[in-house]
Amino acid sequence: MHKNQTIFSSYTFDENTLDEVFNDDKSVKEIYKKLFALYSSHSIMDFEALNEYAKTSFFNQGITFQVYGNNETKEKIFPFDLFPRIIDHEEWEHIEKGVLQRSKALNLFLHDLYHEQNIIKDGIVPKTLIESSENYLKQMQGFTPPGGIYNHISGTDLIKHSDGNYYVLEDNIRCPSGVSYVICNRTTLKRALFGVFDKYKIHTVTDYSENLLEILESVKPKGVDKPTCVVLTPGVFNSAYYEHSYLAKGMGIELVEGRDLFVENHFVYMRTINGPERVDVIYRRIDDGFIDPDVFNPESMLGVKGLFAAYKKGNVCLVNAPGTGVADDKAIYTYMPKIIKYYLNETPILKNVHTYHCSDAKDLEFVLNNIKDLVIKPVDEAGGYGISIGNKLSPQEIEEVKQTILKHPRKYIAQPIMSLSVHATYIESEKSFEPRHVDLRTFTLLGKDKSYVLKSGLTRVALRRGNLIVNSSQGGGSKDTWVLKK
Amino acid sequence: MLARVANNLFWMGRYIERSEHIARYLRVNYFSSLDAPHELSQSRQFVLKSLMFMVGAPNTSNKDLDEADVLYNIGLNPDKEYSIINCIKMARENANSARDIISTELYEAINKFYHFVLNYSPDFLVKKGLYEFTSNVMEFAAITKAKIRTTLLFDEVFSVIKLGVNMERATQVIGIIHSKYIDIQAIELKRSEGFMVSPALEWSTLLRCVESYDMMKRYERGVANSYNTLEFLILNPKCPRSVVNSLSEISRHIDALSHEKKPSKHSTAFLVNKLYAEYQYKYTEEIEVDFRTFIETILESLFMISKKMEKEFFYID
Repeated sequence: MHKNQTIFSSYTFDENTLDEVFNDDKSVKEIYKKLFALYSSHSIMDFEALNEYAKTSFFNQGITFQVYGNNETKEKIFPFDLFPRIIDHEEWEHIEKGVLQRSKALNLFLHDLYHEQNIIKDGIVPKTLIESSENYLKQMQGFTPPGGIYNHISGTDLIKHSDGNYYVLEDNIRCPSGVSYVICNRTTLKRALFGVFDKYKIHTVTDYSENLLEILESVKPKGVDKPTCVVLTPGVFNSAYYEHSYLAKGMGIELVEGRDLFVENHFVYMRTINGPERVDVIYRRIDDGFIDPDVFNPESMLGVKGLFAAYKKGNVCLVNAPGTGVADDKAIYTYMPKIIKYYLNETPILKNVHTYHCSDAKDLEFVLNNIKDLVIKPVDEAGGYGISIGNKLSPQEIEEVKQTILKHPRKYIAQPIMSLSVHATYIESEKSFEPRHVDLRTFTLLGKDKSYVLKSGLTRVALRRGNLIVNSSQGGGSKDTWVLKK
Repeated sequence: MLARVANNLFWMGRYIERSEHIARYLRVNYFSSLDAPHELSQSRQFVLKSLMFMVGAPNTSNKDLDEADVLYNIGLNPDKEYSIINCIKMARENANSARDIISTELYEAINKFYHFVLNYSPDFLVKKGLYEFTSNVMEFAAITKAKIRTTLLFDEVFSVIKLGVNMERATQVIGIIHSKYIDIQAIELKRSEGFMVSPALEWSTLLRCVESYDMMKRYERGVANSYNTLEFLILNPKCPRSVVNSLSEISRHIDALSHEKKPSKHSTAFLVNKLYAEYQYKYTEEIEVDFRTFIETILESLFMISKKMEKEFFYID
């Protein structure tokens, strides 16, 4: 390696993608200039040492996940990139208003779906789409959760397209995860490169937990003065356990497992060293199917017998409400602009990616004839699983995808291949920065008469060159995300 | 506090304390034997047997022990329940289940401890690293306990951890005394057979194994012997690691958890305070006269307390 090479020496440019750090003429964008100057001053050796330090910091903080092998279990960290993403104030305001608008509309949509279903009667959303959704819970019909809130916590996935606009890729309103990484990324970056924080005025991310607690307390059951809130986790072996414990600690509330809870006379209690203590609000991080073996999956060891009945009696609040999955189904996503208009009488602030429904005969025909230009997604999978990107498929693979779609057309949607923006990312194997695709997950909270959007987000980065799938389960990493103050 | 989490914290405290005692026993015994005054104390087999006895895996065969095996098994063999690495793994696993209620500083201390042990080379340990490894384990354990003392609220979480630490300390100190007592008996036997050996070094070693040698010298100003060593390590309230001090701490923390003003006779608090009262008025001759029975009785009492706690506070039948 040449001695004058810097960590940006081998940076490549692609005129077809939007680079968030560099202009088309390869100059550094104004907002990144100070940051770039600072990072460029590091030698490759310095940067490698910093990168190692950041990794150690994650290990020491115990922010790891387990990888199970044949003979041994290994602990790994989620890859973290030391170069932060910056979002300026005006751009953020647009995002914040947009994600809040979506969350509010989704909440009204859910209430309607489980009550009068006016949106179906008025012909806005097809009845078959709801009836065929595995995530629509008949058990929730006619029931209004405490405070009238269904999607207390929403994770909205956005991308920045080559046209410079943010598009929503999907809404996650079941158990969206990742917020702890937003906060840990900030902590780690502060530890490794504290000097960079002098150059910018950025919003804090540490107020998330206190806002979450306020949201939980705002949806307390009737008649409860000071509610006891808990976080319900599947246990230490769950890959998101760190997040569960982080949030419980941040809020100063108990982290419980199903075996710590029991239901008596339709009230929920936890087993403490001083005897049973009543629980009023449960931020559950287990899926609908597992919350109560009496009502849902009878094999569930993670849930609590009688919990759903206690919920229906109004004696405990579950956050998010069961049955929210029907509204973050990727097939519903395409109706979001109409849903926003219908309930809020507003124009959608954030753009939707055009979506083809394979359940619709006309759309299906188009999809089957244009797979190479489309991304095919199953409607009910998370974590980037089951996705096929048309231009990466061989002719034989295209045929296989066609057959898969034809077997269950309702299960698939298709979207044009969007050009995710790229961001300067340190690639360990190359010992230099290279452009990599990124997306952004925002976190929105809705409570009774209260809402909050975390002024940051989880920037996920696809670490393999040219890869568009950023999910951590598919080898993605993440970056600290800075929202600049006014 | 959740009963399950209390159980996890109790065991977290026990495993941290256990790792420290094993590391210290390993270091002190191994290194003091290198220049011991007579052949028996200097004998490698004598030391290795003592080490295995202390960790609860006495050598019952007639075969000689392999030094590298013993050091690896006690230090870093993940398949041995008694190994230091397993203690740290268990401490961390228990801390993981309770990480939402312990301080970030404490959790990070445990985590660093875990990564140090996990990444230590077994080959280096048995060839060159014994002193460094055991010293670091003791340092990490001390740091972790300092974090317990200085970063947690003095509430029920603190009390449960301290109960674990002190229950384990009492158990380990008795175990160490027992182990060294057996070494001393072997030397006494040799002496009775006419060999020119003396157990004086082993009494000093015993005190060093409990990190109490310097303070015992300061307190007693004499040579360590059976009487003054047992008195210091078991009954002396001025010795920070004495059994009676551990019992005092157990009593204090069980009272903090118990809501009964006057503990009922079936409660853990009653059992603990009864035992503590007994030791406040015990004298060394009582112990010396039948040492084996003393060891069995005190270990049985601590076991009963532990069982009682599990039932009363952790809902484990």
